[in-house]
Amino acid sequence: MREKMLNIGNKKWFSAVFWILLLLIIWEISAIVVANTKRIPENILPHLYQIIMAAFSGEKVSGELSASQAVLTSAGQTLLRGFLGFILGGVIGFVFALLMKMSNLLGKMLFPYLMLIQLIPVLGLAPIILSITGDINVSRVVIAAILSFYPVATNTLYGFKSVEKEKYDLMYIYAAKKHEIYQKVLIPAAMPYFFIGLKIAAPMAVTASILVDTLQGDGGLGCLLSQSLKHAMSIYTFWLIVFFSAFIGIIISKIIGLIETAVSPWKRRP
Amino acid sequence: MSEERNIEIKTRQLGVTFKDNEGKDVAALTGVNLEIYKGEFITLLGPSGCGKTTLLRCIADLQKPSEGDVHIQGMTPKEVRLQKKFGFVFQQPVLFDWRTVKKNVELPMEIMGYSKGERSDRAMEMLEMVGLKDFANHYPNQLSGGMQQRANIARAFGLDPDILLMDEPFSALDEFTKEKLHEDLVRIWKATNKTILFVTHNIQEGVFLSDRVCVLSPHPGRLSAIVDIDIERPRPVEVKESTHFNELVTKVRNSFEGGSV
Amino acid sequence: MEDKVVLKKMGRRKKLRERIRENPKWQKASTVILPLIFGIILVGLWQGQVLHRLFHTDTFTLPLLDKIGSIMADNKEKLLENTFSTLQVSLMGLVIGSILGYLMALLASFFPKFGQGGLAVIGAFASIPVVAMAPVFNNWTKDISRDASFRSMISKTIVVMLICAADMGLNAYKGLTNLKPYALDLMAIYASSRKKIFFKLRLPNSIPYVFSALKVSVPASIMTAIVSEYFAEYITGVGRQIRENIVLAQYSTAWAYIATACLIGIFAYAILMILQSIFLKRYH
Repeated sequence: MREKMLNIGNKKWFSAVFWILLLLIIWEISAIVVANTKRIPENILPHLYQIIMAAFSGEKVSGELSASQAVLTSAGQTLLRGFLGFILGGVIGFVFALLMKMSNLLGKMLFPYLMLIQLIPVLGLAPIILSITGDINVSRVVIAAILSFYPVATNTLYGFKSVEKEKYDLMYIYAAKKHEIYQKVLIPAAMPYFFIGLKIAAPMAVTASILVDTLQGDGGLGCLLSQSLKHAMSIYTFWLIVFFSAFIGIIISKIIGLIETAVSPWKRRP
Repeated sequence: MSEERNIEIKTRQLGVTFKDNEGKDVAALTGVNLEIYKGEFITLLGPSGCGKTTLLRCIADLQKPSEGDVHIQGMTPKEVRLQKKFGFVFQQPVLFDWRTVKKNVELPMEIMGYSKGERSDRAMEMLEMVGLKDFANHYPNQLSGGMQQRANIARAFGLDPDILLMDEPFSALDEFTKEKLHEDLVRIWKATNKTILFVTHNIQEGVFLSDRVCVLSPHPGRLSAIVDIDIERPRPVEVKESTHFNELVTKVRNSFEGGSV
Repeated sequence: MEDKVVLKKMGRRKKLRERIRENPKWQKASTVILPLIFGIILVGLWQGQVLHRLFHTDTFTLPLLDKIGSIMADNKEKLLENTFSTLQVSLMGLVIGSILGYLMALLASFFPKFGQGGLAVIGAFASIPVVAMAPVFNNWTKDISRDASFRSMISKTIVVMLICAADMGLNAYKGLTNLKPYALDLMAIYASSRKKIFFKLRLPNSIPYVFSALKVSVPASIMTAIVSEYFAEYITGVGRQIRENIVLAQYSTAWAYIATACLIGIFAYAILMILQSIFLKRYH
């Protein structure tokens, strides 16, 4: 029995669960402290059960919708745009890295600008993107795409550059054609890096799509968030949004991790 | 042995100069004249900086000579490379993480355009030869260093290349694994009748494996002697304790120029 | 003999282009010259309003560069003030967060059983969108000071700190534990104490990983500071100014702040690169 206990203690998931429980306990203790000292405790740190109750309560907060319904319907629009942008940015990022690898000239010419892109506050570009696309929804997708593009492109490029000289030499001796080198060596070698890029990009795409909602007030998670912050509706809506977007961010990065292990069997431990 | 001595590889006044960091010319290799016979096991032996790897790379078309030339079966190295007649084994097992051992062996055959069935059969044959049959579906990171190097050798033989170039393939391995692989290599070589160019800095290894040992000396890298190894084959491990073996080792050692090594 | 010389010369001439291309000096110079050429072309297209035609936009939304420049010059003081505010938040968050992250990685490397799980949880924090965190810390810091500018700064710094801590924690843990094979064995042979193993092996091994963490978190700290400014109570910072000016449709001023944000980023990144080349010299 004791051995079994020790065995569980050795599992990685067990210590993760331990830490999550610890965080929850700290949250609850702080919530009790806050409840006893602050005037409006739910603004600062409500009890977790209060948030859960708010999620399941049928009370209407926005027209005919309950808090959860409001969050989920707005999230649907926002996340769809974020997701489209994420996919678009990921694909373009990969292709861009490939082009920069294929053309030495292009690679050298654009590399510093690739670093620069991440430093541009993309939200600032919103009006220009709007004027280019002429449609607020399209420009929201484009902004999420730009933000996802950068980490995917740099990480993939780094992956291409990580291929050792010996591997090129080997392919050279076998007189492999250029497309064979890309197909059999460079692209598979860059895949782990590509996935790292996607993992970094995912929360950025979510942030971007929520932020750009607030550019024009026509629904979406971002608008709901600013309304609830201005106390136009129950503050619990705010907490639901916070937890929901944190949840989405974590889930997406887990899903990407799962896809990665599914397509790369050599990463599974024997 | 000596009845048919077809020359397979011939270098004429081969020289390679590199530029160092200050832009000065450094001679890595000068005036190498070497004839290698078909089916021969020949070793390029020397301390680091003697240009042995550079010579191997010139033959493999991985390095352009600054002067002189290389002829292989009457062709340039490039032509031979494009006909995919080379096999190359690097010091480090250059395996592809994302491919199983078997798929790694199949890689050059994929490039050659072998059919799927042919690839698979041949890969299994090669893996059996190096004793890795049971590990065909493992990934490289699941193998020990010695097993990885075996897979690497299986891959080089898989294409059935005319010429096998080996750049210090066993230098990172332990003595036991090394001895086992020596045995395997000689057996495979005898069975397949390849020309093998073997680079090493280990005198015993060179003498034990080869028909001839080419001794290279550094600063500038040059060919200073060729020593015939007239030990009967097959050579059991015990040969290493014989007087003749040790005489040859001494002879090779004394052939180095520019001080003792 | 003469034949040989002629042959050599012909070989040289043929390879002239190749030689230039392979020349290490040209290699080095081209990494500066080529981007410069692209930059000049970009500036030309922008100033010549080719970009505007391409993107179907006007000089009101996408002001010409000289206009942006003159606005920056006119508002130098305001610009500097907001730059200072953003830099303060991102720098403080970066430093405190990175130190915290490194300490967490240290703890995790001492107690790997519980540490790994802890790092997995911290990793999850890195995938929480900034928008979800910024308002929460805004609320939490409401009571720490009566000065809105101060409490806003603290809340923004906490967000930056968390992002940087997660990034540093994960990377430093890799650096502290991904030792070269045999390195630990070697230390065991010398009967090194844990303390010695740490100072001679783990610590130096983690330095390159610290820099790869910083390469991500330096730009991220600026971006995070900018995004959390959007939610802050007190109106200050480059990011907040971009937003305020866009809302007021003062696009040229917004562009002046966008340019400032880029400059801050480039500047910070350049400093990091210089530091890296100094610190990592020994590793090559």
